[in-house]
Formats: sequence, structure tokens, C-alpha cells
Amino acid sequence: MNEVTRSARATSGEAVARVARLRRSQPIGWWGMALFIATEAALFGTLLSTYYYLRLKSPVWPPDHIPAPSMALPLALTGVLVASALPMALANRAAQAGRAAPAWWALAVALGIQCAYLALQLHSFSSDLDKFGLHRDAYTSIYFTLLGAHHLHVLIGILLDGWLLARLPSGLTNYRALAVRVTALYWYFVSVLGTLVVVTQLAPSW
Amino acid sequence: MAIAHPPAAEPHLERLERIWEERPGLLGWLTTVDHKRIGLLYFFTALAFFAAGGVEALMIRTQLLAPNNGVVGPGTFDQVMTMHGITMIFLFVIPMATGAFGNYLVPLMIGARDMAFPRLNALSYWIFLASGLLIYAGVFIGYAPNAGWFDYVPLASKQFSPGPNIDFYCLGLIFNGISTTAAAINFIVTIFKLRAPGMSLNRLPLLCYAFLAVSLALVFALPPLNAALIFLELDRSLGMHFFDLVHGGDPVLWQHLFWIFGHPEVYIIILPAFGIATSIIPTFVRRRMVAYALVALAEVLVAFIGFGVWAHHMFSVGLATITTVAFAAASLVIVIPSGIQLFAWIMTILTGRPQFRTPLLWIVGFIVFFLLGGLSGVAFAAIPFDQQLTDTYFVVAHFHFVIFGAAVFPILGGMYFWFPKVTGRMYHERLGQASFWLTFTGTGLTFFPMHIVGLLGMPRRQYTYAPGMGWTGLNLIESIGAYVLAAGLALVVVNLVVSLFRGAPAGDNPFAAPTLEWSTSSPPPPYNFPVIPRVSSPYPMWDVDDRLVDVRQLTEGEMVLEEGHETPTTSVLDADWDEVLDMPSESPWPLAVAAALTAVFVMLLTKQVIVAATFAAVGALVVARWHAQEPQQA
Repeated sequence: MNEVTRSARATSGEAVARVARLRRSQPIGWWGMALFIATEAALFGTLLSTYYYLRLKSPVWPPDHIPAPSMALPLALTGVLVASALPMALANRAAQAGRAAPAWWALAVALGIQCAYLALQLHSFSSDLDKFGLHRDAYTSIYFTLLGAHHLHVLIGILLDGWLLARLPSGLTNYRALAVRVTALYWYFVSVLGTLVVVTQLAPSW
Repeated sequence: MAIAHPPAAEPHLERLERIWEERPGLLGWLTTVDHKRIGLLYFFTALAFFAAGGVEALMIRTQLLAPNNGVVGPGTFDQVMTMHGITMIFLFVIPMATGAFGNYLVPLMIGARDMAFPRLNALSYWIFLASGLLIYAGVFIGYAPNAGWFDYVPLASKQFSPGPNIDFYCLGLIFNGISTTAAAINFIVTIFKLRAPGMSLNRLPLLCYAFLAVSLALVFALPPLNAALIFLELDRSLGMHFFDLVHGGDPVLWQHLFWIFGHPEVYIIILPAFGIATSIIPTFVRRRMVAYALVALAEVLVAFIGFGVWAHHMFSVGLATITTVAFAAASLVIVIPSGIQLFAWIMTILTGRPQFRTPLLWIVGFIVFFLLGGLSGVAFAAIPFDQQLTDTYFVVAHFHFVIFGAAVFPILGGMYFWFPKVTGRMYHERLGQASFWLTFTGTGLTFFPMHIVGLLGMPRRQYTYAPGMGWTGLNLIESIGAYVLAAGLALVVVNLVVSLFRGAPAGDNPFAAPTLEWSTSSPPPPYNFPVIPRVSSPYPMWDVDDRLVDVRQLTEGEMVLEEGHETPTTSVLDADWDEVLDMPSESPWPLAVAAALTAVFVMLLTKQVIVAATFAAVGALVVARWHAQEPQQA
């Protein structure tokens, strides 16, 4: 019992790196995020199931006069979202190695990509709204709800990034390093989610 | 057995007291992160909602006391009946079982000094309180939800329910769901990571297994409900068409989504009762539970299989026969883990030396009603039987035996059982037994005749009935029973309130119970345990030498962890020593976040979307501020 680690008291780069090296089991913050992801996954499971349920119930999909979604832009955007997992992973590595500055820069790059992604997505969301509107039928209902829920999750990730970018300049602590780690975990989840959502969104065009 | 602290312990105890003590007075309660105080807040709030739900029940029974009665009109009856269901399920049983009992007991039982996320725990409570008040705001302005607790469309759609009643339902329950999800995650992480070193998963008290199963079920069951509520609210406020047949939607979709939540919910309601039973039975029969491993597995299995049986609530809506048969089969399978537990409880009592004191009496009542309600429940897996009795009082009889007789009796027994721990005083034994018999009789009188009127064809949810149908006498008995039941519950409250002031001092462990909450003083100090306890079985208080080790370690200042708000974390399976956690201390931010979220939901209710978004942004800023306080600075 003499070698008790008190990871929260690691408030320098070296100390954080030492904790990351010595850690034998996942900390409670990781478990909290993992379970949050589990419940959000269940939410998206329900949204996606609802999409296919309504599709199976409908003789024509999408219903009257709604053009099937175009493939190019959504697929390219999803590629961009998935690509942003790379700087997130680099940020996590840097943070766990106790290097605050590289972590900050990698996060900033990821945030830039994610913001661009969200902006373009919102643009195409609103142009779809102009094209066929919310109120038309069950297809438009689930289409906009599914995409809207996804965009909201991207927004939450962006807020998490913003918090980290504000906190990291005053130095690395174990708490912040863990926050980088679970934020990266969250973004991996959002990338998978984005892929599933786009596959569903484009389902009428396959 | 209670072991006195040695004099050498005094400086340690004083130091711990100084570290963990919270602000006195009202401000202390508003900023508290102590799981015991949050548990008490949950307890009194849930009890108040129980009283409200009870008054609604009495209004229903008074209206149905005689045919063509006019105590409440049809419109009011719909609201009262719906609010009775919502209140009892979302505002009483879940918060009472998980929020109050779980919060107070789980950290104490696993030898931890708090929940894994104490501030999140406070946030859960404040959101629960606010969501309950939001739903009841609808009652006070005359727009309570009125489409039944499962709120079927198309009745609940804008076309047939144009008022704001159903908006209170949708938004109130989404709000409530945030609280419950946060609490469930908190319980899982606490049970996984904060167990005392040595409490490997095969030494986890069975009550904690039950709460673990409940929490896991909640994490996966609430999202379908929330999705359904969001769809319905979007249909109602933005004119979408999820449930609108004319525009390609499907009303049956609501039923699927609701019951994918709703059936796991049934087990979510009853599993804490199973857990409480496994705490009370060993204590009063003086032996360990029969088949510990099987009972633990059965508790988790019930929660798991509960996800595969939802469509048995929908046998009469015209699903494909193959679907119906598959769900009927799944519904039969769930009898197996329930049966395992039933046999284990009964065998433990039969092979022990039972002392039928008040808490055990409630558990015996629970077993009786669970058996009866369980048998009538299994019968619904027979599809023609189900189709015949759907929407009759037979269903009401079945689920009240299970949800009141089986789920609430252990909660009442648990109130008596842990009263000495929480207050330091004993309840009145004779009066306690009287309150049990009165409630038991009332429950039987109220709900047993409902089986018969159901078989005679009386439909549920009707505000009145005609004379000469053969239902009149039985309904009168039911209503009398409801008043007897209310008297029994009042006697419980009287007993506990009077005992709070007049009860004999209880000591640390008046029942010689086996789990760790009894190792500390009554009421427990803010730091729970002066020494992180040593654990080598699921019944640590019956391992006397371990408790002697605790005393020796306290004398020598080992395992006291007195450098700050500290508690150990351990590995998930084996509870090997991991590290020492610095826990946050009292914080005003959870209350502030809950206030911002309340404003968001009120604004959504009044359709002020821009204002709601502004408050959401304020909430996000408060969350950022909250997390600027890092554990090492606490």
C-alpha cells in the first residue's frame, strides 16, 4: 500500500506522463465517458431503427417528388469528419506524454476541421429545408431529426474542444490530460456515428 | 458486532471530520455533494410525490366507489389517472429506489466515501426535483397530461390533444430522463470502481448487484423513450409526421418505442426491491443467502432479458403472428431468473432461523404479492388470454400486485430496516408490525377484487360504470381497501416520525446485519468510514477478524486517507488497489446548471426557442466554470 498513486495531484507534464505510464486500470472519468457514449449509441440506434422502420412501412422511399439525396458532398464531408480523428489521436498522445503545446496545436487543427465540417453540414441542412421542408411527411421528419441530432453531437464535441483549448495554455494537469483523452474518445464515437448516419441518409441513392 | 473506537483514533476522527464537514444550514443543503444528504433530499422529495400520487389514487377509488358517481368528471379523471401513473413510476418508485436508497446505501455498502461523481449526483437530484415540479406545474394550471401514462398516439397527437397537456408530459419526462441517465451512469461507475480493496465482484453485496442491473438497464432503456418523446414533441410543435398515418408515419411506432423502454422499466422498478429483499432476509434469518452466485446472475439476467419482451404489451394491436409468438416465448423465458430468485429467498428463510420483525414481514408480503402478480403476469404470455383481457381491470390488478405489492413493500420494509442507521434511533416494533398488516390487508382488498371485475369485463381507464353489471360490490370493496391501504401507509409515516424523536438509541448495528453500512456510526459521519474497511466476503460484518483489523489500522493510522477528500479506487473485477482519488467538495454549480436547464425546458414549453437556446448557452458556460475547479484544488 505504500506506492499509492494520487493521479489527481499530477500537475506537471512529467507527472502526467508518469501517471499515464503507471496506470493499470481505466480511471473513473474514462468509464463515465464510455457509459455516456453507450447511452448516446442507444439513442442513435433508436433513431436509425426508426428510419428503417418508416422506410419499410412506406411503399415508395423517399415519398413523392423528393429527390434522392446527392452522394458526393455528404460522403466527402464524412471523410473529413473521420479524418479529424487523426489530430484528436495525436492530441491525446501528446497529452498522455505530458506535452501540452503539441496537444494544444493538434486540438486546434482538429477543431478547425470539425468547425468547417459543421458549417458545411448546416449549410446543406438549411438548403434541404428550403428544398423540401420539415412538414412534408414521415421521410422529412426522420431525415431532419436524424441529421439534426448528429449535428448537435458534433456541436457538443466542439464545445468540449473549446474548453480544452481554453484550459491547456495554463499547463497540463492529470485532470486536463484525462479530459483530452475522453474528448478524443467522444470524437471517435461521433466519427462512427457520422458514418452510420450518412450511410442511412444516402440509403435511397445506393 | 460493533467495535468501539480506541482512544488513539480520536485525532484521526477529528481530522476527517474537519476535512469532510459541509457548510451548515440551508446553504449546505443547496451546495451539498454528500451522497447521504443527496439521498435524503431524494427521499423526502420522492415521498412528497408518493403522497401526491396517493391522493390521486384515492380520488380514482372515490370516483369508482359507486356506479355513475360524480366526484370527478371525465376530463379530470383522465388527468388524475394519468398523473397517478406518471407520479408513481417516474417521480416516486425510480427516484425513491435508486435516488434515495441507492444513493444512501451503495457507497456505504461498498466501503466508499462518496459516489464516483459527487457533483453530477447533486445535479441529478436538482434536475429530478425541477422535472417533477415542471410536470406538476401542468396540474396546477389545469393542463396535466391526460392520455394515460403510456400516452398512445393518435390520442396524444396535436389533432386530438390540442392543449399543452401532452407537452408537459413530453418535455417533463425528457427532462426527468436526463436526471435518471446521469444517476445511472454514476451508480455503474461507483460500483465498478469505488469498491473497497478486496471487494471483488464475487463479494459484492446482492443489493449492489440489483442496483448495477437497474442502472445498466436505464442506460439503454431511456434513449428509446427519449427518442419517442422527442418525435412526439416534434410532431406536436413543429408539425412533423412520425406518428401520422396520412403522411407516411405510423402510430404503432410509438407503441414499439414506448414499450422498448416500458418493459425494461418494469424490471427497473422491481429490481431494487429484489436487492432490498436480499439485504433484509439474511439479517433476520441469520444465514447467508442461498445460491449467492445464481441470485447475482439472475438479477443481471432479468434486466437483460427484459429488453426482449416488449411486444407482449402489444398482442392486441395486430402484429404478425410470428412476432407475437416470438415475444410470447421470450416472456416465458424471463420466468426462469425470476423463479431462481424466488426459490432462493424462500429457501434462505426456510433453512434459517427467521425472526419475523417488521422489515422481514414486509419482505414476506413482497414474496406473496410477487408470486401472485408474477403468476398472473406469466399468464399474459398466453396470447389468446392476453387478447381477451387487454384493457380490463385484470391488467390493473396484475401490475398493482407487482408494482405496489412487490416493488413498494420492500421499499417500506427498507425504510424500517435502515431507519436506525440513518437516524440513530429505533422504530416502534409493535406499531411497525401493525402498519404492515394494515397495508397488507389494504393491498389485498384493493387489488384482489380487480382480478374478478377484470374477468367480468370491466374496462380500465373509464371514469365510471353502469349499475347492474355485477361490478358494484367489488368496486366498493376495492375503494374501502384503498382507504385501509392509505391508513397503513399513514401508520408507517407516523411510526417513523414519532420514532425520530422518541425512539430508543439504536447503536451502530442493532440487527447484527452483515453489510458494511452497519460498521460505521448511526447516523454515519460525513466521511462514512474512518478506515477503508477490509473485505473478504459478501457479508463483511460477519467477518469479525476483518473488523478487528480495521480497529488496529485506525489505531496505527493506516488506511485512514486523511490528506483531503480521499477515497480509494480499485480494479473492476478483482477490486485490486488502483489509486487514491481526490473527491470534489461542495459546489454551487450543479444547482446553477439545473436552474439553467429548467429555464430551457420552461421556454420550450412556451415555444420560445430562441430564449431556450440562450439559456442552454448559459448552462454550457456554467458547466465550463464547474469543471474549471479541478480535484487537486478542492
